[in-house]
Amino acid sequence: MNTTTASTLPAAAAQKIPWRKSKKLDQWICYWSVPFFYNLFGIVFVPLSWMMPPRSPSSPLPDVVAFMQSHNLLLACAILTLAYGLAPVSNAVYLTQMKRMSVNPAFRVTLMIGSIAGAIVGMLFPLFCFGLGAFRSGYEPAVLQMLYDFGYLAFIGSLGCFCAMWMAFGLAILLDHNNILPKWLGYYTVWQFVTELVAAPVWIDKSGAFGWNGLMTFWLAMLIYVPWQFIVYVCIYKAIRDQPEDELDNAVARKPGRAPAGAGA
Amino acid sequence: MTVADASAVVDRDTRTTVVTRSRHVPGEPSMWFFVIGDLFIFAIYFVLYVVYRQQQHALFLSSEQHLNQGIGAINTVVLLTSSLFVALGTQTARLGKARDAMRLFVFAAATGALFPILKLVEWLPELGAGLTPGHNLFFMFYYVMAGLHLCHVMLGLVIMCFVIRDLRISKAPDMKFIEAGATYWHMVDLLWLVLFALFYLMR
Amino acid sequence: MTAYLRNPLTIVWAFLSFSTVVSWALSRDVGGSAQMSALVTTGVLLIAAVKAQFVIRYFMEVRHAPAWLQRTLNAWLILLFAFLLGAYFAGL
Repeated sequence: MNTTTASTLPAAAAQKIPWRKSKKLDQWICYWSVPFFYNLFGIVFVPLSWMMPPRSPSSPLPDVVAFMQSHNLLLACAILTLAYGLAPVSNAVYLTQMKRMSVNPAFRVTLMIGSIAGAIVGMLFPLFCFGLGAFRSGYEPAVLQMLYDFGYLAFIGSLGCFCAMWMAFGLAILLDHNNILPKWLGYYTVWQFVTELVAAPVWIDKSGAFGWNGLMTFWLAMLIYVPWQFIVYVCIYKAIRDQPEDELDNAVARKPGRAPAGAGA
Repeated sequence: MTVADASAVVDRDTRTTVVTRSRHVPGEPSMWFFVIGDLFIFAIYFVLYVVYRQQQHALFLSSEQHLNQGIGAINTVVLLTSSLFVALGTQTARLGKARDAMRLFVFAAATGALFPILKLVEWLPELGAGLTPGHNLFFMFYYVMAGLHLCHVMLGLVIMCFVIRDLRISKAPDMKFIEAGATYWHMVDLLWLVLFALFYLMR
Repeated sequence: MTAYLRNPLTIVWAFLSFSTVVSWALSRDVGGSAQMSALVTTGVLLIAAVKAQFVIRYFMEVRHAPAWLQRTLNAWLILLFAFLLGAYFAGL
């Protein structure tokens, strides 16, 4: 936290304002919840449950049943249930900076609604599917197989859902005259959402390059997406740091005893 | 960068347009960042296609026979012609002839709009004959790659409309924007040249 | 109108369209049946590489661009076609 506060307040540092009193404190808390959230996600998905990298869509039934009923999956789903609420906080970081752009609010609203829909399809659905298998023993293997398909298809096959939302984000960066985020990031975002379109065939193919664990659908999309996610947060960091204090739209607390203008009329 | 970036410098004394041709980045550098990245992403897809093709070449060879090479070739010429109009239009706009440039961009957009129509003419019988993306790996690659390219074409047509609007309403055309749009459209053309060779022609 | 016809861009376009027809004829007449043909593939890919280079240099105006841009696009073209041909011959 020390490194953050030291570098986050270059202007304020001269005036020796303690970081706790920074007007951007709430934004910074939101901001630093993001690495926490993504690390948690990474631990839960990869070493804890091995849900990711995706298991084969054509794995044999006994393997699917063993995975769906494993204790680690249960633990992973429990953590996800508790951490689910961090998704809106991380999206608030984007939205706060997008609000400063000289573009129509429709872009911001698209990102907002898109991220809500995306979190439901991409996070809540898999959570329910895998959670049902893990928490409720006694389902038929065929039912577990269906939940397995449902969970993975919701997670990876919903990438198209994120497409429109990142398109709004990319276009907002490109059309913005205030240069809140760099233009090349807008172009990078365009590649990012275009590669997500390629994930559509996961609904058709059950193996090979276009399965949900395929080279074309998953790995190449990840090759573009993972660096993109890091770079976006570095750029957002700079945007928050460089935001002038007088531009912050935190509501000013009304002092007791001083009536607001026009209140007496 | 030591050399001036300007493409067309109007000399005030002689009232002539001096075109400094050397060392000029068309459009904006950030747009080239996009084009180069897009070219490399497509390059990865293209190479992967050949790798998968060679693993199951009997399947791919027999599937390739179902494609309509004629429409593929016509579409190549369609995009090349559209690109020519765009290149001529950019040159003309640089000379300050906004009206002529606009006319050339309208031709370019009209020719470019033939591409999606011909794609429809090509795909509908194929889809009707059961050659859908789920038919085999070749058709999956074919529809995904051509579909991705088609998205680029549609976006290019939208950009072209904005270029035409800019040429029509503004006194001094925004050369940076026109060049950026033109570069994007040539990239669409470039990707199709490779797609055409890989999917329709190679044996 | 004649100025457009005599424009170098139009000559490049005529060459590109002509080579499209040539590569189509090569694929149809030499490689018509469903047979692997290294000759057709090499020919078709080399024609495509030449066409790509013309589009890059003339239409995209990269021949007037700074060296870094020329080098990057040359690298793209050479790497792409080297890998395409490499992948083709490795899997023969």
